[in-house]
Amino acid sequence: MPEPIDVVEALLFASETPVEADRIQEVLDLGSAREARELVQELAARLDGQGRALQIIEVGGGYRLVTRPDVAPWLVKLARSRTRSRLSRSALETLAIVAYRQPVSRPDIDAVRGVNSEAVLDNLLDRRMLRIAGRKDSPGRPFLYETTRDFLVAFGLRDLADLPKVEGELVIPDASADAVSAVATADAPEAAPATDSPELDPGPGGPELASRS
Amino acid sequence: MTGSALTPDTDAPGLTVRVESFVGPLDLLLHLCRTNEVDLANLPIRTITEQYLAHLESVQFQDLEAAGAFMVMAATLIYLKSKLLLPVDPDAPPEALDEEGELLRQELAERLREYARVKALGAWLGEREAEQALIYGRTVAELPPPEDVPLEDLSVHLLARAMTRLIEEQKRQAPREVEPNPLSVLERMGEILELLRHTWSLLFSSVAGVERVRTEWVVTLLALLELVRLGQARVHQTEIFGEIVIESGPGPTTDPALPALPDNGAASGDIAYA
Repeated sequence: MPEPIDVVEALLFASETPVEADRIQEVLDLGSAREARELVQELAARLDGQGRALQIIEVGGGYRLVTRPDVAPWLVKLARSRTRSRLSRSALETLAIVAYRQPVSRPDIDAVRGVNSEAVLDNLLDRRMLRIAGRKDSPGRPFLYETTRDFLVAFGLRDLADLPKVEGELVIPDASADAVSAVATADAPEAAPATDSPELDPGPGGPELASRS
Repeated sequence: MTGSALTPDTDAPGLTVRVESFVGPLDLLLHLCRTNEVDLANLPIRTITEQYLAHLESVQFQDLEAAGAFMVMAATLIYLKSKLLLPVDPDAPPEALDEEGELLRQELAERLREYARVKALGAWLGEREAEQALIYGRTVAELPPPEDVPLEDLSVHLLARAMTRLIEEQKRQAPREVEPNPLSVLERMGEILELLRHTWSLLFSSVAGVERVRTEWVVTLLALLELVRLGQARVHQTEIFGEIVIESGPGPTTDPALPALPDNGAASGDIAYA
């Protein structure tokens, strides 16, 4: 007979979407969602304790079993591709506006960005980061947009409350803004340890494994 | 970066232009404010306008609409600057604007502040995305799909896209060709006999049609052979591959006698050739 904690592991392994505590409770016939959460925490601790390559993260209102970031270089090698396609700066800014003001219409988004956002919005709808929430009761009855669960998963957010609080002017030094865009283009500094660098390219020598003793 | 400490009243555009892409006019304007280290609350219109216009030339426009957005901002800035050049009160400080101009500047500053927040949040999301790009989870489950499809993440957009795809697929399919009624050997036999009643002889090509449609020629040949078999027509050909000349046969030509023909069904049935 498998233990409940093993069943939880199997559920998280087999599911493509985050599994909610309620769902775990339902499937395992547990007394409460709290019990389910405790099982997940226990499992997460076990994975951590054993130093496994898998971890449990809480995103989009549920739990996912995913790989640890430090094994990413080998997965990239396995996939034989350099990076996953990233969203453009326009797309990220548009997402930011929708995330904070949802449901929001295109004219409102355009007003904040100062440019037409139609193509960006279509792209985000195609990627299922956004969905149409309805129509606004204003001239032209424009569509209203809101973020999806896929958005939360893609950005590793438990829910919208995970977004940083915005009060007054958020002054971000230019240096940090440049650093973000630099990730995709700059060569990985050699001094940086592989585990801390977000650079996905394992480089000519390939990723370095810990030596087995 | 040199020249970032330009004083607001210097008109010389001594700024080193950093070539990068700006996602919109506000992005460019914000960049100028940052490099000039000015407070968004009191925008130095003169300097900013000069530099904005100088930058416009280095901006690569992706499309006309984006270009338009940059131009609208340029127009606003120039309008504000023109107000500065014609001060209502000669004793007013150089950056003073009339009421309308001041409102416009306030509004512009507010939009810039708002955009600065959005830009920072976009950068934050970008960092999160980069972090998430390092972890991999299942994207397609091998579990059978649930019987009740959750509708929460479906939207009108996806429905519209599915419809568009269907329509495009339909368009790609070649239009179905509608065949005319298949030619009938029997009808063609009647036509030949009708022609032979008024003339001594006629040419095969004139009956079969000059367009050389394969089915026409095959049907005409079969009709002709059938008439020859029944003794109602004679044919002769002066050379190989030459023109076939059709003449009335020894049989009774006055009566097409078509109803009498198809006694043996095999030879006279309607034969259609595709």
